Amino acid sequence: MANGRLRVDWPVCRARGLCFELLPEAIELDEWGYPVVTGEITPELTGAARAAVRGCPRMALRLVQT
Amino acid sequence: MSTDTLRTAEVTVVRGPRLLSAIGGGPSLAAHRALHGSPGRTRLATLLADLERIDLRGRGGAGFPFARKLASTAQARGRATVVVNVSEGEPPSSKDAALATTAPHLILDGAMIAAEALKTRRIHLVVPDNERAVRDAMATAVAERAGERVSWAVHRADDVFVAGQASAVVELMSGRPNRPVTTWQPAAVRGYQGRPTLLSNAETYAQLALLTLHGPDAYVAHGTAAEPGTTLLTVHDGGGRRVVEVELASPWYDVLALEDLGRPVLLGGYHGTWAAAGELRALTVSRVGLAAAGLTLGAGVVLVPDCCPLTFASAVASYLAGESAGRCGPCFNGLPALAAALERVVAGRGGIAEAERLCALVERRGACAHPDGTARMVRSALERFPDEVDRHARGGCSYPRDGRGG
Ligand code: SF4
Ligand code: SF4
Repeated sequence: MANGRLRVDWPVCRARGLCFELLPEAIELDEWGYPVVTGEITPELTGAARAAVRGCPRMALRLVQT
Repeated sequence: MSTDTLRTAEVTVVRGPRLLSAIGGGPSLAAHRALHGSPGRTRLATLLADLERIDLRGRGGAGFPFARKLASTAQARGRATVVVNVSEGEPPSSKDAALATTAPHLILDGAMIAAEALKTRRIHLVVPDNERAVRDAMATAVAERAGERVSWAVHRADDVFVAGQASAVVELMSGRPNRPVTTWQPAAVRGYQGRPTLLSNAETYAQLALLTLHGPDAYVAHGTAAEPGTTLLTVHDGGGRRVVEVELASPWYDVLALEDLGRPVLLGGYHGTWAAAGELRALTVSRVGLAAAGLTLGAGVVLVPDCCPLTFASAVASYLAGESAGRCGPCFNGLPALAAALERVVAGRGGIAEAERLCALVERRGACAHPDGTARMVRSALERFPDEVDRHARGGCSYPRDGRGG
């Protein structure tokens, strides 16, 4: 399976930071609390990435194919 | 007024070989037809082949191959819409305004040719709300075409820097605020009303019209084999603001005075890149050649500040920070922080590492290209003027303080 990529819907994201709690392997937070996607989503991370997508209270995350 | 230039309130439009050849004849449909004739029937396949041959690039700034955009729109499912962006959100750019007021029918012919190739009759024009001359010129030109079998919809874009970003234009057309939103697919595939949308800048359509009206051989008679044709530039130098049309690959000597070639030049506008003093002497107005030197032509703004380039870059960064549409956290927090860091650089209070860090932090983290463009301009200033950065760090500056400036 190919790697995926997390994309943030920036106007929608409100920096709650839940995505970082759910997926610290691929997400950091900047100084204002907005996510910084640090890497691609490997097949091993896909489950956790899906959980982050579902967990975002603003539905601001999407997992897209690269 | 001579017939070789057209002076409006603040812009001088200089007669050019192709797009700006109509100055003097007036902008009417009759004058346009007398000069250019009428486009014949257009077939998509022929048009795509001709477009590939001349390698037409979008003239809104990104330089995307127009043939690819047209092909994607044609291949996507659903009836297509053609959108012509005549609004320049960038204050120093006047080339589309110049085109609209001197040759509006080239823009409209281009839109009709694209519409015919895509088998649609619906064309949308986006005009700048704050520029009455442009709005009136396009409205008059559309009214002259009342008998033609297309429907024109005209929208007024806000006077905001990012109002011209593709997704902001689609929002405007859809009756929502004229600001960028996140898109998951290009407008060519899924744009207005979820349908394939060919959205390009006014000059791009005018170039398409010239290609069709006079044929590819006439098109490639200007420029070079690798980069045929001409391009519009808005030049700001000691002589004020002017719009010129130059052949691609012309030496910069043709555009700027010798004295100005010895100064730093901001190329490609506020989202553009800085050429160091003298750097343009060895270069040409070539997208490829400039790219190899780490420079970009963007939408064709050429700005020679009459003051310290670092100070000017800082003023531009502050302006751009204020133009963040305030929608995306990394942009509305990051750009003011970046502008503040650059102010510290100018004031000699550190800030260099912080500015570089913030450039990397804001890139690709917004719904539109505004953070990326801002970071590009700031980075290039820091990179091109290391001596000036040093001088400022020691409390100095090599330029007089009373320049015309930002
Ligand atoms: S959980 Fe959603 S809203 Fe919160 S920071 Fe992450 S992407 Fe933004
Ligand atoms: S990236 Fe900045 S300018 Fe673009 S939509 Fe987001 S907040 Fe607005």
